[in-house]
Amino acid sequence: MKSFLRYLKVWWLMSKNSFVSVFYSKLSLALFLIAKTLRFVFFFMFIFFLLKGTNSLAGYNLNQTVFFFLTFNLVDVTAQFLFREVYRFRGQVVTGGLDLTLSKPLSPLFRSLMGGADVIDLITIPPLIFAIFYVGRMLNPSLLHATFYLLLVLNSLLIATAFHIAVLGLGIITLEIDHTIMIYRDITNLGRFPVDIYKQPLQGILTFLVPVGIMITLPAKALMGLISPIGVFSSFLIGMAAIFLSIQFWNFALTKYTSASS
Amino acid sequence: MKKYLSVFKISFQQEFVYRLNFIMWRVRNVLQIFLIFFLWDTIFSDPGRVVFGYDRAKILTYIFGLAIMKAIVTSSRTIDVAGEISDGKLSNYLLKPVNYFKYWFTRDVASKSLNLIFAVFEVTILYFILKPPFFFQPNPLLLVLFLTSLLSGVLLYFFLLFIFDMFAMWYPEQGWGPIFFLFIFVEFLGGGLFPLDILPAAIQKGLYLTPFPYLYFIPLQIYLGKLGIIESLWATLVAGVWILVLGFTLKKLWQAGLAVYKSEGR
Repeated sequence: MKSFLRYLKVWWLMSKNSFVSVFYSKLSLALFLIAKTLRFVFFFMFIFFLLKGTNSLAGYNLNQTVFFFLTFNLVDVTAQFLFREVYRFRGQVVTGGLDLTLSKPLSPLFRSLMGGADVIDLITIPPLIFAIFYVGRMLNPSLLHATFYLLLVLNSLLIATAFHIAVLGLGIITLEIDHTIMIYRDITNLGRFPVDIYKQPLQGILTFLVPVGIMITLPAKALMGLISPIGVFSSFLIGMAAIFLSIQFWNFALTKYTSASS
Repeated sequence: MKKYLSVFKISFQQEFVYRLNFIMWRVRNVLQIFLIFFLWDTIFSDPGRVVFGYDRAKILTYIFGLAIMKAIVTSSRTIDVAGEISDGKLSNYLLKPVNYFKYWFTRDVASKSLNLIFAVFEVTILYFILKPPFFFQPNPLLLVLFLTSLLSGVLLYFFLLFIFDMFAMWYPEQGWGPIFFLFIFVEFLGGGLFPLDILPAAIQKGLYLTPFPYLYFIPLQIYLGKLGIIESLWATLVAGVWILVLGFTLKKLWQAGLAVYKSEGR
């Protein structure tokens, strides 16, 4: 518990520094905030007009399809808010700056993963939660299904954490971060719509191998009452396995760090 | 001309320096095709269905056409201009007997050539995996107009990107923000994610007054025969007017930008 509180304090300090540096450049903050909002609005418009013309998508109506999209955004934006530092990790490895992180009395994984929370994404989370609450209520979920949804969203964040740790590990071994993280983003983007739209074997890959289905489609389906308690339990097993394997991979990657350029 | 040919050769070779980067970039393109392909494939799972004026063959041709269009229109190195202005590298070019615009356009052509080769390869592979029905335009006049509008799209994107790069002249530390903005406009308002004619007529009318639909959407509409000869000619003319307007705007911004450029970082 003491250790947890210490890390929470460190995270708050690092996040505060990160926020201050973003607020220093208000023009940049405004530009990115408007651009991200526009991207959301444009995609929402696309879904709205598409479903108006087709009435349903893979058997889901407009509200349900919008809910999948909102859930995708919640997981995606929260992961970006928490793990923005991953996008800057390559510079640390290439310049040997990671040495400084390794020599501090702090988990280098924690520092590399959560060292620079993104305030722009944080600003967009409250309206997103409101939208999820609003659209989710229209789907008339039971208390049990709403609880499943919350638990599975937490599990999604666990899997997102595992992905980001794996990207960090790959970054140490291959010195490649920028495109790897963007490929992760592109793969999760496939979850903007329910994975039911994809054909096999892609649907199977997106459900089990790269569990986008578990991250995004499953929580939304749980709220709609389409997932059994066994499905929820299995998802947690996959989430925990993912986090365990990613940490093992990170530990292995650290042994390959050469401290070049330092 | 000879020096730009050398720039082309060097740029082409440079694309191979970070091979893993390039391959990853292409993988990303394929993933993006997957999202759009399967989305529309689900909607058109009934082969006889017609939605928004598209049948299955035309919409899937639109999706595969987009992959090729993106390689030609939006593959670009000009995105690096903002960075060069921010760190003062622009000064090196100002001292050399080289036209900065022609230099970057040549680099763009090199990038487009390489991306086009890969895009054709990927589309061929995906064609055999996904086996979509294709629409082939038989009218040679529409094909000529399609190629003309495609070329217009290339020029429009070059000017647009350069104009957004110019922001760095005034705000050297914030070069990326406006470009991120542009990317979102190009992707959504250019028809990079969905054909714009699924939107209500009033919104479409407004969009056609902007340069964005002339990047992907209009050329593909011409290819698919959704625009007649007269409408295609008109659309090409509007794109031409936008090229002139953006070219003129860029010239003015460049002159004004050079007046405030401080060569910071040098």
